Amino acid sequence: MSRRTKPAREGDQASLDRRGFLKAATLAGTGAVAPAVVSAEVAAAATPEKPPAQRHTVQIVSRESEQGTPHDDGTTQTNCGSDFMVDVMRGLGIEYVAAIPGNTFKGLHESVINYGMTTSPALELISCMHEEISVAISHGYAKIAGKPMACMMHSTVGLQHGAMAIYNAWADRVPVFAIVGAQLDASKRGNYVDWAHSVFDGPALVRDFTKWDDTPISLRHFAESATRAHKFSITPPYGPTVLAVDQELQEDTIKDGERPAIPREPRMAAPRGDDGAVNETARLLVAAANPVLVADRAARTPEGLRLMVELAEELQAPVIDIQGRMNFPWRHPLNQTRRQAQLVPDADVILGLELTDFFGVTGNRVEPRLKTGTKRISISAGDLFMKSNYQDFDRFTPVDIAIAADAETTLPALIEAIRKLITPKRRASLRLRGAKFAQDHQQTLEQSRAAAAVGWDLQPITTARLCAELYEQIRNEDWALCNGTVFQSSWPQQLWTANHHYQYIGDAGAYGLGYLPGASVGAALAHRKHGRLAVAIGGDGDLMFTPGALWTAAHHRIPLLYVVHNNRAYHQEVMYVQTMAAKRQRGITRAHIGNTITDPNVDFAKLAASMGVYSEGPITDPKDLGAALQRAVAVVKRGEPALVDVVSQGR
Amino acid sequence: MKLFTACTLLAVFISLYGVRAAADESPGDAANGKRVFLADGCFYCHGTTGAGGGNAGPRLAPNPLPLAGVKAKLRTASGRMPVYSAAVLKDSEIADIVAYLQSIPKGKDAKDIPLLNH
Repeated sequence: MSRRTKPAREGDQASLDRRGFLKAATLAGTGAVAPAVVSAEVAAAATPEKPPAQRHTVQIVSRESEQGTPHDDGTTQTNCGSDFMVDVMRGLGIEYVAAIPGNTFKGLHESVINYGMTTSPALELISCMHEEISVAISHGYAKIAGKPMACMMHSTVGLQHGAMAIYNAWADRVPVFAIVGAQLDASKRGNYVDWAHSVFDGPALVRDFTKWDDTPISLRHFAESATRAHKFSITPPYGPTVLAVDQELQEDTIKDGERPAIPREPRMAAPRGDDGAVNETARLLVAAANPVLVADRAARTPEGLRLMVELAEELQAPVIDIQGRMNFPWRHPLNQTRRQAQLVPDADVILGLELTDFFGVTGNRVEPRLKTGTKRISISAGDLFMKSNYQDFDRFTPVDIAIAADAETTLPALIEAIRKLITPKRRASLRLRGAKFAQDHQQTLEQSRAAAAVGWDLQPITTARLCAELYEQIRNEDWALCNGTVFQSSWPQQLWTANHHYQYIGDAGAYGLGYLPGASVGAALAHRKHGRLAVAIGGDGDLMFTPGALWTAAHHRIPLLYVVHNNRAYHQEVMYVQTMAAKRQRGITRAHIGNTITDPNVDFAKLAASMGVYSEGPITDPKDLGAALQRAVAVVKRGEPALVDVVSQGR
Repeated sequence: MKLFTACTLLAVFISLYGVRAAADESPGDAANGKRVFLADGCFYCHGTTGAGGGNAGPRLAPNPLPLAGVKAKLRTASGRMPVYSAAVLKDSEIADIVAYLQSIPKGKDAKDIPLLNH
């Protein structure tokens, strides 16, 4: 095999072109023409101009031509439908298109690179290695940019690859503007490959977890459906949409005068809660002795974060951040996230804000852990749009007031109603409550620091040490963390100071592995124009799903520090299998089988380096970690990605 | 008088419990305890030296529970913690694990670590 790859090396004078290689391979493969051991170079040199033997044409060349040679009807064009599609996307404010090529959207691909990227406002095509990465990049980007980017996928196989990532975006309430190619006219399909890549209703594959899809059959239809898809994707609850775009529609010429108008997207208003319900909620919250605010994906925007602070401070009420987004400053005195177990059972009013798992917050999966009479109120756009098959809507919770609305949009009215109800006397008592929470917050911080100190010099390195060392290198920068932190025991939230909305974006949504490499690259792409230092801490198992995202970061010079939390296992699953084996009294000494990623250990530094990413590791001694991170940060600040592989404790 | 009686009873209880606890604390083999702790996968959730695994498993060391407490946790675990019956983990192995956890020294104080004092 190595001899076969040698000709492809850069600068090799004896390199073969693709045709020559195939020829040589054919000769070597037959044995009747040349000895089986003949090398490609020798075979090529021996027959420099000789065409392949005819009998091999069927065996190899025909398959190559069917799969690899484009159709060409010999005509030329001065315009095409896909240029119009590019204009529609630009009109929707789309700046980037993530894609791995596929011939069912080759017309649109060509338009993006030769029209969209060369005319203003210019699109940028983000070249990807897997559709799961394309979608994840779109997912991460949207959480920072606040708007979707486009994601083009091949028909059938491409969308199948991307489906899991679409489900992550759906569960995470994130807009993705997906376009899949389609070959609707059966008479235009060239061969068996085209047929394998054709489907009558492609988006049906992901219809259970997308907000909307369509298969337009005219350019006017495309323009309207693209605008509708974009609008739906950014109407709370946000979510992915899919358009299946016919090849002929992309590739055919637009006749003179038939270019449709591009619809204008309206200014949009998100759904706000009913005034009566909002006023009743305000009354209950102001009267409560122990109100608790629980926020999951409440702050969609920086304004959402500001409003959350205003709400909490008005009430001097504790906030429990479920960390679906950056809902509340990590060091704010009213951030009482670590005290959920103490606060929830004692609450008399609990307000859930875009809280999907209300039941899990207030119970133990069997019964609620609430005192009698506790009022539960939810404000969630999730109540406005739900599908039945996939069960990401979580367990039903019998709340007292369910406000079907966008929480962020409802907060100004709620805050205003609360403000009107608070008397000066009540405000004074609320201040005392707030002062107590400030003490509790400081005490919790001290406890976290004490806990982080335990095992400080341990090998493998503790996740607390990893996070503390990373923070030391970035804390004076305009940093942004691009990963969820549940698998690092939320140490960043425990130890770091974060005040800005962009500094944290939550997790995958559906916890589908392979999310973070792409999502962090997408988030870093959105951070790039702001000059922020994007960092991500991700598991080794997750990275093994979609390492090709690192190549995309290198190729597009997307600055991102990727720290591998390398516990050499699908750690969560080890625990599950341990529990199962112990329950069955079979011992747990074999629970690692199928769950650990050892023998051999993966060398992530080499993996990253192979794709042009600066890398360090594996770091096993905590004393070496700070310097390695410092060097990597310097690379990222120069505008390039870097990876540091840290051999770490489980969580 | 009542106060005196109560204090006496408490002292007797502490004394008896102390004797009982001391009896429980039969010295195990720390080296074997470490081997079991790592081989049986305790470290996946509790860290390789029992430092704790954050939301996966609580800190076990330094200052571990006494043997009786550890045994009770293992034999009647709930939640995510697997139950370890005697068929899976012998009493002597639990004693060895406790010996290992007891051998783990107290680490640095958070106040002495600059990175934890920003």
